[in-house]
Amino acid sequence: MLRNLQRWRGVVLIGIAVVATIWLAFGNQLVLYIHPRYIVFTMIMGVIALGLIVASVVVRTHPEDEERPRALSLIGVGVAAVIALAMIVVPPATLTSATASHRDITSTTVGAETQSVSDAAAASVATFRTFTVVDWASLLRQTSDLSFYSGKPVDVVGFITADPDDPTNMFYVSRFVVTCCAVDAQPTGVPVFLANWQDTYAVDDWVEVTGQFGTNPSTSSKQSITLTPDAVTKVDQPSEPYLY
Amino acid sequence: MTSRLAEHEHVHTKTRSPRRFVWLGIGVVGIAALLGIRALLTGSGFSLPNELQDLLTLSISVVIESLPFVILGILLSIVVQVWLPDGILMKYLPRNPALRRFCISLFGIFLPVCECGNVPLARGLIVGGFTVPESMTFLLAAPIVNPITIITTHQAFGFDDGILVARLLGGLAIANIIGWLFSLHARPDALLTPGFAAECARPADAHHHSRTSKSVDIFIREASVIMPALFIGSLVAGAIQVVVPRDVLVALGSNPLWSILAMMVLAFVIAVCSNVDAFFILPFANTFMPGSIATFLVFGPIIDIKMLAILRTTFTTRVLVQLTVVVGLLSALVGLVVNYVA
Repeated sequence: MLRNLQRWRGVVLIGIAVVATIWLAFGNQLVLYIHPRYIVFTMIMGVIALGLIVASVVVRTHPEDEERPRALSLIGVGVAAVIALAMIVVPPATLTSATASHRDITSTTVGAETQSVSDAAAASVATFRTFTVVDWASLLRQTSDLSFYSGKPVDVVGFITADPDDPTNMFYVSRFVVTCCAVDAQPTGVPVFLANWQDTYAVDDWVEVTGQFGTNPSTSSKQSITLTPDAVTKVDQPSEPYLY
Repeated sequence: MTSRLAEHEHVHTKTRSPRRFVWLGIGVVGIAALLGIRALLTGSGFSLPNELQDLLTLSISVVIESLPFVILGILLSIVVQVWLPDGILMKYLPRNPALRRFCISLFGIFLPVCECGNVPLARGLIVGGFTVPESMTFLLAAPIVNPITIITTHQAFGFDDGILVARLLGGLAIANIIGWLFSLHARPDALLTPGFAAECARPADAHHHSRTSKSVDIFIREASVIMPALFIGSLVAGAIQVVVPRDVLVALGSNPLWSILAMMVLAFVIAVCSNVDAFFILPFANTFMPGSIATFLVFGPIIDIKMLAILRTTFTTRVLVQLTVVVGLLSALVGLVVNYVA
């Protein structure tokens, strides 16, 4: 029995991982884990793996005598089995504010340059409405000149993370930016000033915020410019929660 | 005696065959039942605490991201061991050991496999007759010189600050130096785990089985070695992500020495695949010095937490410690050179 386990554990683990992956792909949820550009490659290799699994059952092989597994390797297989089980049973979810708070969200140091100030200066109102959290965060990193932001409408969707410096009055509308898979997800956020926001909203709520940037009234926050909201509406989590 | 044993083996396998189909059936039904449970959980608004949920999401994402490359690596390993004519790779390589290792370090240019997929392939090379240091040279160089890595690094950085050039030359140099260092070892087989060394020592092709049968056998064996390591490595990588605040590392960015160390720690814990790590590190380029970016791009593909778990299937702990220290020092050197020259 143990020797059979030693021999077949890999095939079983690949089987579970591949079925879970294909299932996620059909449910359009694979994007919760990897960047869309890898989906086709992942699916092709998954189908090949399924073929190999069927072959390993059908084709008669000639196993050499397997070693008896040691205790340590049994524990390892146990741990692997728990993750494999979780992969199938636990409903997939996006990363939460718990991870965002570990990864510099304040957007002053790290982030992709998706928009440049000179290009954005000439853009139309309609264009600004399409700007995401990532676009605005990229502009905020480049300039804190208030005149640049005046008259530019903001309409962004993201989840709420509290500003560590002024958690009562400030939060970030946040999104994770993914380059490869959820592990490299980098949170980016736009600061919002809304006094006592926790009375109405909770951390991790998905919201749509509309408004304009202005001077930050908060005294304890490090941000000089903040989004003054006209409206904050609770929304459903988008089907593609990460931005790329 | 041998033939009677072989006969016994055949009978044994034959009688077991129908049971395998039963197990396959059980597996399919089992997975379907579990997916049913998931559907019920989704409907009932079930949720885990944030930290635990993120740990799962991160670990599973490492598994899903690495899995296709592992499968590709096992396929290539099967091709090398079973389908290529015997000794074809050896035939055209130079006899001089250093020159030979240099040629082997360039193999990766033709193989779009990143680090975790290279492990089964490197194991296949050892079984196929390469020495341990030669296979190690391939293993360390391939993820850096592979075509996808070169393209993505170029897309991310162009030729700015010599990052791409430093990555390629640095990676090749480190792989060849490590290969040379371990070739000085008196008994290279002692570098391998006892289990894998025993596998290599088995006489090749004693039974003259069909190629298909041998291929499937390699698939089963490699999967059983690599998959548990991949799952455990992913779990550890996920756990570190949840526990270690990343902003601490970013705060160290602007000092020439500290930024290099911070980038090595980041590369170690993030365990992201070499094919895409350039995109990952690009946003940090404003904060960190170019040399530390180069260090990240050289160190990360060779050593990280998930890689160590997978490498442990093949090499002893002692070898992995030596490897980590030497690669760490050499890639820090690459970073320092870039910082002071560029």
